[in-house]
Amino acid sequence: MSTDGTIHARGIRKSFGHKTVLQNIDLDVASGEVCCIIGPSGSGKSTLLRCINGLETVDLGVLQVNGETFGYHETETAYHALSKKKLAEQRTRVGMVFQQFNLFPNMTAQENVMSGPVLVKGQDKKKAAARADELLASVGLDGHGFKYPAQLSGGQQQRVAIARSLAMDPEIMLFDEPTSALDPEKVGEVLAVMKDLAKKGMTMVVVTHEMGFAREVSDSLLFMDEGFVVERGDAREVLGNPKEARTRSFLEKVL
Amino acid sequence: MVTTISKGSETTMGGIDAALKPRLRLRTPTEYAGWVLSILVGLGILASVLTNPNFKWGIVGKYFFAESILRGLVLTVFLTVASMALGTLLGLALAVMRASHVKPVSIAAGLYLTLFRGTPVLVQLIFWFNISALYPDLRIGIPFTDIGTAVDTNAIMGPITAALVGLTLNQAAYMAEIIRGGFSAVGKGQIEAADSLGMSAGMRMRKVIIPQAMPSIIPATGNQFIGMFKETSLVSVLGVAELLQSAQLIYARTYETIPLLIVASLWYLVMTLLLSYPQAQLEKRYSRATSTLPRKAKRVAQPEGAAR
Repeated sequence: MSTDGTIHARGIRKSFGHKTVLQNIDLDVASGEVCCIIGPSGSGKSTLLRCINGLETVDLGVLQVNGETFGYHETETAYHALSKKKLAEQRTRVGMVFQQFNLFPNMTAQENVMSGPVLVKGQDKKKAAARADELLASVGLDGHGFKYPAQLSGGQQQRVAIARSLAMDPEIMLFDEPTSALDPEKVGEVLAVMKDLAKKGMTMVVVTHEMGFAREVSDSLLFMDEGFVVERGDAREVLGNPKEARTRSFLEKVL
Repeated sequence: MVTTISKGSETTMGGIDAALKPRLRLRTPTEYAGWVLSILVGLGILASVLTNPNFKWGIVGKYFFAESILRGLVLTVFLTVASMALGTLLGLALAVMRASHVKPVSIAAGLYLTLFRGTPVLVQLIFWFNISALYPDLRIGIPFTDIGTAVDTNAIMGPITAALVGLTLNQAAYMAEIIRGGFSAVGKGQIEAADSLGMSAGMRMRKVIIPQAMPSIIPATGNQFIGMFKETSLVSVLGVAELLQSAQLIYARTYETIPLLIVASLWYLVMTLLLSYPQAQLEKRYSRATSTLPRKAKRVAQPEGAAR
């Protein structure tokens, strides 16, 4: 069976200095599954997501992404950090969408979307441009390719950022609070693109505060607090009928 | 609607249409006093400059286009351009080294910056000129072996070379700081975005960091360039016949010190003004990185930047 688009984590630990931000995290995401991670700020949910893309390295534990040990190769005695080239290869298979969009302001929307295929994969510019236009159209930004990020609204920028990640043809998409920096009225357009992506069978891990989106779209849901996974399970089940007191008190505040 | 109002006011007030009357700025007595005082002081200085025979404007005119002065000017321009170009390249390397995760590399660059920014450039210039006292022979080869060749240091380190080396190495330290400052102005999120796409460090530097750092690096570099143009006058102590030294050589003979210093000063002034134009153009060009204008949109005319 193909392992593309799967994430398996066992006993992930991560500390920054003396502060432990991830304590013994297990995570399983099947291919085509949408997993939402919710929790208060500082609970470690963003850090967990960043580990899956290699923006942070894990201290202990096993992390397999797309069936490969992520960031390391395993020998009998140790995990050896991968060469930068190998790590980059693994990263191209995992798209990341940031809270602050992080579009390159020196490039147009189209150039942003082309940047991965052309600069990293060495794709032909004309082909990449055509593909970028397709992707921009698919996120509802047909004809906006010539604009610079500063000329686009937050919601539009975030959709360009999604298209930029998709241009690398990743098997997994990670979203780190993709709508938290947006005007309330722009949230919907970004969520719509994400729903569409979920429908097409993309494996997605989404850190979010949008409980409505979590309930509607996600297959599984994790509630994290202080570096632990407090509760996990079917999204509707956890949101509708939380078993842990901590989950209940959090949901009471946000719903 | 508008026409009825203006018609009405025209009939009541007569003369100018009320809606079209100019709006006048408030002028205070201080403003008039400022005008009067500045004009008086200006006229006083002008009268003194024109009437004091010691300025010897005739001699200024005579030497302004003298061959040795022009040759000195060419050398000054050469030293400026060469040391800025080499210094910027070396500065870029130092800035990249300074940001390196490999500790010895970043410390080495840090030491360089401390050393070259912490000592006067005049001392450095004289030091390089006398480097042969320290290393009489310059050996190129592999350390601790006999492989390589030796050259007489004095043969290589003439005054112009010493000037070029001194100015370049000093400039590199300052450029490194400017470039590093530009790099650090690029947000962490940009680096993360580039990384998450799988860009290599070199690609990230060329396509993401440098283009975004340019708008803050370019104006500062322009300033350095203009500063360097004037700084080259320091190498006159090495006997390099640049602009100032050429003037000095003449007045050592004719004792017309002030007129020749004026000649040199006027040339420095002219060149500085000329240099500020391309700098303004570069600034405009690189401001595009954060532009909100579409790429092919016509640029709105902007007021010319003030000369430095």
